[in-house]
Amino acid sequence: MNAPVNAMLETASARPRPKAPSPLRLFDWIWHISGKVPLPGGQPSDEAFARLAPLFEEPGTSYRRTGATLTFQKKDPVAQDKMAVFDRGVLHVEEGPAGAELHYRLASRTLLFCFLVPLLFLGFAQLNIALNKFDTAPAEETAKKPKKEDVVLPQHPIDKALGAPAPEKPKKKDPAEEGEGGRHSPTPGYVFAAIFAVLYGVGRVLESRLINKLLTRRLAGL
Amino acid sequence: MSGVRVGNRIIGGQSPVTVGWENVPRVEGGPFKQFFFTWFQPTVLLALVAFWYYAPSSIAKASTAIAIGIGFKILLLLMEWFFPRHESWRLTWKEFITDLFYVGLGYTVLRTVETYIGSDVIIEAVQSSFDWGKLTWFIGLPLLLQAFLISFIFDFGQYWMHRGMHNWYPLWLTHSVHHYITQLNINKGAVGNPVELFLIGLGIGGMFDFLPRAALLAGAIGMAVGTYQHINVRFNTPRWWRFVFNTTEHHSVHHSQDFEASRSNYSSTYIFIDRMFGTCVDGEAELLGMEGGRRMSIREQMTFPFTEGWRAIKERFGRDRLGPMSVPAE
Repeated sequence: MNAPVNAMLETASARPRPKAPSPLRLFDWIWHISGKVPLPGGQPSDEAFARLAPLFEEPGTSYRRTGATLTFQKKDPVAQDKMAVFDRGVLHVEEGPAGAELHYRLASRTLLFCFLVPLLFLGFAQLNIALNKFDTAPAEETAKKPKKEDVVLPQHPIDKALGAPAPEKPKKKDPAEEGEGGRHSPTPGYVFAAIFAVLYGVGRVLESRLINKLLTRRLAGL
Repeated sequence: MSGVRVGNRIIGGQSPVTVGWENVPRVEGGPFKQFFFTWFQPTVLLALVAFWYYAPSSIAKASTAIAIGIGFKILLLLMEWFFPRHESWRLTWKEFITDLFYVGLGYTVLRTVETYIGSDVIIEAVQSSFDWGKLTWFIGLPLLLQAFLISFIFDFGQYWMHRGMHNWYPLWLTHSVHHYITQLNINKGAVGNPVELFLIGLGIGGMFDFLPRAALLAGAIGMAVGTYQHINVRFNTPRWWRFVFNTTEHHSVHHSQDFEASRSNYSSTYIFIDRMFGTCVDGEAELLGMEGGRRMSIREQMTFPFTEGWRAIKERFGRDRLGPMSVPAE
């Protein structure tokens, strides 16, 4: 075959093909936090990472540093770990228009969990609604049982003297009292779904600000 | 670490435990702050007892109790934020949502399951089989005495079940995951495997549903005392309270990383049950948890009792049953 063509084919096969962007990139902001922090006063990257080192020497944390890049992973970080919310991440120093900057991209399964868990609680709510439909027939049968005679409940003279209300026999749970749906209420599921949805919003913003503040303070030696 | 001798045991030999009330720090601050943190607990208990004693029947029901419980927890969470006992126990966003997840399980799926195989089934069986006349002698007692008896009998059962969980391996499997918590916060009492939470739920409502106001009073006493087991706030708890009731200090000793310390203070409400049976240790600890303070993820909390149980079964029965492994002859 033609030598130049062979050379071209070999070069083409040796050159790595650019990967197609993963569709997850559209959504990974949900559980990734990225940002940058300027290094104070011409600080070299070695000194920057030396100041950040204590953050990665917590129990359950492993890290590797190559040049101006540090990658870390955390497994079961302790509650007192300031970066406990993150499971892995990359930090690297690069030159920006105003000087050296520390860029970071951190991943948090906790954020992803908080984002998805409202669906779980909505599922529990739907489960209760479904169970109420199955429960309707047996409830009608129990309502047909003859009620026992009402017994007058005694009240001790001390309670009477102190003004406590007269004792009341508890009413048997009937569907009217529990609500139109039935004995399984979907309300707690909806409430917790809403709570976690709000908490996700809070966490996504809060953790982003906290890590930026933490890195800024540590780089400044505080 | 030498530890301190308490009875026949050495407490604090593996992990630091402060033993003795004279060694436990007190709330620092001005006279108002001291007064507030001394009398907060007794005042709340008295207020709740008075509320449930005098509340009209129209509001003396479980839904009111739940609303009060939620409001009380929010107040205590705020107190934790502004007056933390230990900085190392401070709540973070991650810890808060993790704890709330377990609380959410209790209000949703656990409650659903319990209506079929839990306390509600027992309640219905008891209500349909009991003759009201036979209970007259009990419900004729003064209301507060009824409430105390309900609360005490329940806590007596809780004490032995909890002690059993720390002494019998199958029960320990379900309870062990709860002991991986490294902080005591308001909602951390809910952290644990659903099987254990379900087992605890079996005892609560089953026996006493037919005594509504006394049961509500008993529940209020339990809440006004038991909530402080898991709380990151320091109180100057009065001496008489510490003698009768379980406190944060007692429960922190129970959650300590020290093995012997964890085998103490089993009761939920009345620490004098522990005093009766020689398992009380007065003191406090800050370093909590298991395996040196390793944090257990939600996934592992759910699976650990089963994976660990399977591992234990294989270890115990697998090799013994089959005999020693054969070694190929050379």
